Amino acid sequence: MKIAMIGWEYPPYKVGGLGTHCYGLTHGLADKNVQIDFYMPKLRQKVASDNKNINIIEVGETTIFPYDRPDDKELGGRFFDAVYRYNDLVVQRVKGRYDVIHCHDWLTMKAAVQLKETLGVPLVLTVHSTEYDRSGWIYPNQWFIDIEKEGMQKADRIIAVSEFTKRVIVEKYGINPNKITVVHNAVYPIGEGEKKNLVLFLGRLTIQKGPEFFLKSAKKVLEYEDARFVIAGMGDMLPKLIEQAVHLGISNKVIFTGKLTEEEVQHIYQISSIYVMPSVSEPFGITALEAISAGTPTIVSKTAGVSEVLKNCFRVDFWDTDEMANKIIALLRYQSLHETMRQSSKREIQLFTWDRVAEKTLAVYRGLM
Amino acid sequence: MPSICMYFEVHQPFRLNHFSVFNIGHTHDAHSTYFNHHLNQKIFEKVASKCYLPTNNLLLDLIRQYDGRFRISYSLTGTFVEYCEKYLPELLESFKELFNTGAVDLIEETYFHSLSGLYDDLDEFEDQVKMHQKMIKRVFNYKPKVFRNTEAIYDNRIAQKVASLGYKGIITEGTERILGWRSPNFLYKPTNTNLKVLLRNYKLSDDIGFRFSSRNWPGFPLTADKYANWMSNSFGDVINLFMDYETFGEHQWTETGIFEFLRHLPGEALKHESLDFATVSEAVERYNAVGDLDVPWAISWADEDRNVSTWLGNNMQIACFNELKDIGQKLKRKGDRDLLYVWRLLQTSDHLYYISTKGFEDGTVHAYFSPYEAPYDGFINYMNILQDLKEKAESR
Repeated sequence: MKIAMIGWEYPPYKVGGLGTHCYGLTHGLADKNVQIDFYMPKLRQKVASDNKNINIIEVGETTIFPYDRPDDKELGGRFFDAVYRYNDLVVQRVKGRYDVIHCHDWLTMKAAVQLKETLGVPLVLTVHSTEYDRSGWIYPNQWFIDIEKEGMQKADRIIAVSEFTKRVIVEKYGINPNKITVVHNAVYPIGEGEKKNLVLFLGRLTIQKGPEFFLKSAKKVLEYEDARFVIAGMGDMLPKLIEQAVHLGISNKVIFTGKLTEEEVQHIYQISSIYVMPSVSEPFGITALEAISAGTPTIVSKTAGVSEVLKNCFRVDFWDTDEMANKIIALLRYQSLHETMRQSSKREIQLFTWDRVAEKTLAVYRGLM
Repeated sequence: MPSICMYFEVHQPFRLNHFSVFNIGHTHDAHSTYFNHHLNQKIFEKVASKCYLPTNNLLLDLIRQYDGRFRISYSLTGTFVEYCEKYLPELLESFKELFNTGAVDLIEETYFHSLSGLYDDLDEFEDQVKMHQKMIKRVFNYKPKVFRNTEAIYDNRIAQKVASLGYKGIITEGTERILGWRSPNFLYKPTNTNLKVLLRNYKLSDDIGFRFSSRNWPGFPLTADKYANWMSNSFGDVINLFMDYETFGEHQWTETGIFEFLRHLPGEALKHESLDFATVSEAVERYNAVGDLDVPWAISWADEDRNVSTWLGNNMQIACFNELKDIGQKLKRKGDRDLLYVWRLLQTSDHLYYISTKGFEDGTVHAYFSPYEAPYDGFINYMNILQDLKEKAESR
């Protein structure tokens, strides 16, 4: 079986869960003897394949990223053009005989739809997030929604990363639920390090990820327990968050790391004692699995897709900063809680393997052939 | 000829309010802030209408119909009786009516359905047994002869204590761990004291309690005549069918046919010459012990493990348990009766049960009974309340 997979990012150069997913999925499939041509943009550093069944093909250069918003200043009005141009490049570049075209998220959807027609092969679309998620459900941009909707309509099968995302696809995009398969994400375990007294937020600093709720909780925690709060990642909210920390009077307890390398991310997971994911909207949330695999008990937003399948974690409403603080304090204060949760959650995530993701994805491919 | 000994556990815990760290040290009246009276009343009334009242009525009819040949036993916890007196006195009247038929026996236990039998010394255990004894005397004017510890938790030490308190029999689980090749359908004697031990026939009991409505069980559908046949083919002196009272109408819903099963059970059983019914006291009087039981480590009737790991299986549970014991010593020195009562309500084993993190199969059973989303939430809530109580115990 041969798959043309149209992706965006691929480790070690990645920004979000999409890159992690593509790496895990392609390797899981390759182990099942599926051949994959992985199409992605040309980067400054060359990305090399480490598996004989995976062939990485660079399409061309581009200036856009999947998490960009069209109001980003440096892109301005050229954003839409840049997207169309890259999609044209993809259509020109993808050649050969494939059994399935597999596309991830909005950015290359136009190309995927066109390829499905020119090559006459079925199209599978994995939805890692929708415009509603990325906008935090505040003023979603119709331009993205239209692209996503067309892709979802034209795709032969859709894979959603959670039941939550499946519901969004059905309710917001009007797609037939029978064509959607839910495949929850997985994790390559990181391994434990020596814990410091750190409470971690890790993710893009955008409305979607809810970093301001993390800071509000931090303020409440610090009235009772001592700890340091780490905000790891970059995003348009950074200046606002720095200001918020000053206003709350906790700037001496909050560390902003800026952008971290892959190794630094692993290290920060390992030394943190609690991970908090207060996302307003989170289709899945692989970072929760990564944190747990590093022995870090985790508090996730109830909206997160991962909370559908992960039992050994705390689930809170992202806006309920009292409850979030209550749980952080308890984890800092009660060693028995921290210890029990660390052990049980680590045991539980052994079930979240990329082999299982590949198995379920393969079943979707087979259903189309 | 085996006697069928049916016994029902009737219990309700006082579930807790949401209690966050921010509440610690800011409560005035412990009783009204710790316990979720609204939720508790709601659950109690729901279970009463689905289970307690219809089952009581049915059993009363059956006892009359078979003219006392159908005989049963109950244990009512102190907290359950408090619920009745507070919210539904007619339910307690219904239990009195059952008792007054003469075909119903009552069993002793710790008033608070607690784990005090596992404390380092058994003073608190004895206090709670005596509280239960006093309550049964007051409500039913009766003194039970048979004892059953919380969730059938049993070891040599508990047996000895119970014998010293004057009971003739004690109930526990008929697990192979203490029986080996021997049958639960006989009475036994603790190796270290003079007492008769009634052992739950877990296979036949769980056929009703757990498997009754399970479609992938070979015994499905379970009818009263089939079940009576199984019992008449059993060998031994007694068949001890011990189960939660909520089996009827709550764990097994009305729609499963559980009430129809119960309605026909006495008639079908009494068709067999070899079968009759006995209360626990009668079983203890009628039969002799056939062998010794040596139980140095505590067993119970819970989960697959049949030990105390359901309540003390993880570090969170052990931390709470130790905290609970520690607070008790402080409160006893302080001598505050109201706080002592609150502390005892917090000893009800359910609070620790909600914190169990045991495996998936057992875990689903736990989840069904728990007011919390996850054991970790249960821990935080319970531990926060214990911290608040500790502050009160330490203050003057």
